[in-house]
Amino acid sequence: MAVVASRRRRVDPDPSFFALHRAIAPQLWGGAEWAALRTRALERFRALGIPTRRDESWKFTDVVRIVNRPMRPAEPRPLPFAEVRPYLLGGSEAVRLVFLDGRLVPEWSRTEGLPAGAIVESLADTARTRPEALARALEALDDGRAFTALNAAFLDGGAWIEIPEGVALAAPLQLLFLSAAREEAVMAHPRCILRVGRNAALTLLETHAGLGEGAVLANVVLQLALGEGARLDHDRIARAPRGHALLVKLDGSLGAGARYRQTTVVVGGALVRNEHEVRIEGPEAECLLSGVAMPRAGEQVDTLVRLHHCAGGSHSDQHFKSIVEDRGHHAFAGKIIVHRGALKTNAYQKNDNLLLGADAEVDTKPELEIYADDVKCSHGATCGELDASALFYLRARGLDPETARALLVYAFAEEVIARLTEPSARAFAERMLLERLGSDFVSPESELLAEAR
Amino acid sequence: MLLEIENLHASVEGKPILKGVSLAIAPGEVHAIMGPNGSGKSTLAFVLAGREGYEVTEGSIRFGDEDLLAMEPEERARAGLFLAMQYPVEIPGVGNLYFLRQALNAIRKARGLEEISAAEFMRKAREEARRLGIGEDLLKRDLNVGFSGGEKKRNEILQMALLEPRLAVLDETDSGLDIDALRTVAEGVNRMRRPDRAFLVITHYQRLLEYIVPDVVHVMVDGRIRRTGGPELARELEERGYEGFLGRLAA
Amino acid sequence: MATAIETVREVTGSEYKYGFTTPVEEERFPPGLDEDVIRRLSARKQEPAWLTEWRLAAYRRWRQMEMPDWQKVKFPPIDFQAISYFAAPKQKQRPKSLDEIDPEIRRTYDKLGIPIREQEILAGVAVDYVFDSVSVATTFKRKLEELGIIFCSISEAVREHPELVRKYLGSVVPPGDNFFAALNSAVFSDGSFVYVPKGVRCPMELSTYFRINAAGTGQFERTLIIADEGSYVSYLEGCTAPMRDEHQLHAAVVELIALDDAEIKYSTVQNWYPGDREGRGGVYNFVTKRGLCRGKRAKISWTQVETGSAITWKYPSCILQGDDSVGEFYSVAVTNHHQQADTGTKMIHIGKRTRSRIVSKGIAAGRSDNTYRGLVRILRSAEGARNHTQCDSLLIGEHCGAHTVPYIEVENRTARCEHEATTSKISEDQLFYCRQRGISEEDAVALIVNGFCREVMNELPMEFAVEAKKLLGISLEGSVG
Repeated sequence: MAVVASRRRRVDPDPSFFALHRAIAPQLWGGAEWAALRTRALERFRALGIPTRRDESWKFTDVVRIVNRPMRPAEPRPLPFAEVRPYLLGGSEAVRLVFLDGRLVPEWSRTEGLPAGAIVESLADTARTRPEALARALEALDDGRAFTALNAAFLDGGAWIEIPEGVALAAPLQLLFLSAAREEAVMAHPRCILRVGRNAALTLLETHAGLGEGAVLANVVLQLALGEGARLDHDRIARAPRGHALLVKLDGSLGAGARYRQTTVVVGGALVRNEHEVRIEGPEAECLLSGVAMPRAGEQVDTLVRLHHCAGGSHSDQHFKSIVEDRGHHAFAGKIIVHRGALKTNAYQKNDNLLLGADAEVDTKPELEIYADDVKCSHGATCGELDASALFYLRARGLDPETARALLVYAFAEEVIARLTEPSARAFAERMLLERLGSDFVSPESELLAEAR
Repeated sequence: MLLEIENLHASVEGKPILKGVSLAIAPGEVHAIMGPNGSGKSTLAFVLAGREGYEVTEGSIRFGDEDLLAMEPEERARAGLFLAMQYPVEIPGVGNLYFLRQALNAIRKARGLEEISAAEFMRKAREEARRLGIGEDLLKRDLNVGFSGGEKKRNEILQMALLEPRLAVLDETDSGLDIDALRTVAEGVNRMRRPDRAFLVITHYQRLLEYIVPDVVHVMVDGRIRRTGGPELARELEERGYEGFLGRLAA
Repeated sequence: MATAIETVREVTGSEYKYGFTTPVEEERFPPGLDEDVIRRLSARKQEPAWLTEWRLAAYRRWRQMEMPDWQKVKFPPIDFQAISYFAAPKQKQRPKSLDEIDPEIRRTYDKLGIPIREQEILAGVAVDYVFDSVSVATTFKRKLEELGIIFCSISEAVREHPELVRKYLGSVVPPGDNFFAALNSAVFSDGSFVYVPKGVRCPMELSTYFRINAAGTGQFERTLIIADEGSYVSYLEGCTAPMRDEHQLHAAVVELIALDDAEIKYSTVQNWYPGDREGRGGVYNFVTKRGLCRGKRAKISWTQVETGSAITWKYPSCILQGDDSVGEFYSVAVTNHHQQADTGTKMIHIGKRTRSRIVSKGIAAGRSDNTYRGLVRILRSAEGARNHTQCDSLLIGEHCGAHTVPYIEVENRTARCEHEATTSKISEDQLFYCRQRGISEEDAVALIVNGFCREVMNELPMEFAVEAKKLLGISLEGSVG
């Protein structure tokens, strides 16, 4: 039977990617073996192509339009303190790595006061001190995703972080990624590899912010590994100006009894896409993921989760929300996979979406894939407007409709924001939310709020 | 004898719980087993009913002429052994009455009896339900789903009354009952006392035994029956508590 | 009414009791498919030229299409040239009265428990009997005609009511809709046609019973049901096939059209041969079913009990175009041994205040895979639309899989969608409790599963509910212990 390839799941990358690679790859750090690794990744990227909406995981998002065009790494530029300051979180003792356009900025980074055995260094350093470990880590992540391959092809900025066994870092660690718009379209591909050793503990603040409006692609890859009994509290905040695209791939693994807790707050962006692939590899581990996204006109936020229960007796709980204003778009695709033999698994997932604009759009796809019978799994999803009776209640108590609305939206988001573990991150996210609501409205502690909830 | 347990040893997940229980119940008798938490009372009930995971490592149980341990749980039920459970199970979507009729017909069929007609069944069920203070709505709801603790226990007694067992084992039927419910349940049991039917009442407290007066009381401690006596033994336990009683036993 | 346990016991011992074949003389086309085969098929059925052209256009579309691969099912490639596209019992012409039917065919339906006669068991049901590629009998036609209801085979409808067929055929499932719909449009052999006129409430259940008998054939039936303004009809579909080691393809298309204030209730008990314990043989059931609520306040309700087929791949859907129209989908899908089911629904909300409700119960046992896949789409125009979805999965044993893949796409903020899903297993506690009351383990499983599915079973017409309950029990035989 004659078959015509009528549906294309991918398109060829723009030729500029390859031309650019030929021009700049020789100037990046490392010797021949690193050049070879980057070239292999580029070929992988070429073979994978850029996914179209025919690709199931990009069903709701046209990424070709955003990324398949000539872009180049931004020229280095100075970074005045005034531009960094608003995003410095975690207090004066925080360990911090600041990246501008994917490159480490040593003057605003801070690695003093690390306990013995802890490592926080740039990938270029790791390539010298532990080349084999780095190469192994990079090649271990072959997820069939074009942007991961692209990230490796332009491997340059990034960090290697290791918290040794039994060490609990007292102050948080902040990874601050800044992207500055230029005249022409620019891109950056930072990668961070973080290992939390056996029974070690860390609070990680991951912050993405854009400086100025314009065509920017930040293509970030994070590789997390939690050893047995390790704890990681992970607060993530992203604020992307108009034109910015932020793609973050988080690949994580949890050992036995590990506890991973992540909360993400996203505002803005042409596209902010958070992809998670988390594997619970040891028994009795716990994985809590939550997030709130607030896209408005012309903005899109994607949240993808693939959570694997490979070992039994573990618990996972996901709660993702969105507040979508006029012509904003939110897509959620969450999948829980309980592998054969992962008995006594408890897995929950919830996705609640608030549509506030006439042209707001929400796509949600909460999936379960279960291969073990002795499990408890459930998911739920809701889409709708603000609850009319709650709105009425507030108005009956004398609030004007705008304030009542803002209050309810605030309450909806606050449930997630309150889960941010680090106080300065929480305060930052709350400010961001209030800005978004454009309201100097009420004290959040108002009793009305509690009642309306 | 209706039930003869000899030197019964049983383990759960490899841990020995029953360590040599011997007990004989004649038709018409009411025996009570009392004992502190963790003494093995409920284990004995589950071993009698044939629950999976309760491994008999030694000893024998005869039920009438039969070797009880060789029988499947449903065969034991059909032979006339009824266990009123401490935590009756909820089965969504399965109507209470529907379930009861399925069970009754399964048992009747095994005994070579005709299936009960719907009208006859409804008459009996309603009558017994009325006596036990079980409302019509409860009969129509899904099996044990959303029942209160007391409603579940009454429902167990309702099933017992209709299934007409030869031996009824009541596992902590009094737990979680207020005094009125306790009296209703006890009356239900007493109505069923007959020369060819026996009861084994498992309880932590003496309270229930004021309403269901036993012929024989056994005290179980650490997987063994430590004392056997008349109803006065229950009162003695109540006064002294297991602590005092254990102390004396130890001495 | 017989109880689940009684009925399970009745049939214990026979795993698939419909697996016999009927020795009838048959006429069939040699295997293979090209334009010439389609022309011959159309000529054989004495079809008008427009329909021949319609088929050929569909065939040309099909040749341009690829077999879909997004479902969560695995099977070797199908050789479409190895299938015979027409098989029919030899008969000079369609019998004029029920008395003239070939005794072998009559015996077949007797054995299947749906005798061809207008009395006794099926007194309240009019049945169209489809045997391989053709309809062999339709009961109660006269009585229905008195009310203006048309119930006949689609071949007959093409001859007798061309204006209706031409107007509606392909209006809900266009020939190019998907790979199997295109194939069906090209080669459909027979099926049922129903038209209920304005304001008429059909007084009896209408039913088609599909039977694949011949080996090496596919069944491609086409059903078209039109409920005119203010009418009501309830339609039942049943199906069985002999046990064969080869796989047989069943690629049907069902189109429903409900005009203003009309209601169509469509129930299926699907019991195609599922293959044996090792996964040999069984029917590939690739079906496109879609209903269009074209009018205001129209309602379409799908109820399905899927126990058969080696692979089931179908999504009975509703397009809710009329304002205030309602779509419902109630489904039980049971898979055992090596069966694979990928089934669910699509609810497309276009009209204002349209409502949809989805209740799906999946039960997986053995080494089977059971997937719910569904789409709820609320278009910008669907002001005030509502959807509620409940998907529950039950697993029996450690080697099966249960999957839930719902898509929810909302473009109107006044819409409200809620989706809930759970996965659980039959607990040891529940089994023990039943057994302690004297109920055997297999009966207990059937009892618990029937309880799990009750919400859906309650939607089935009485005549089908008994059959369906029985099937649940049989399908799960050997799944525990």
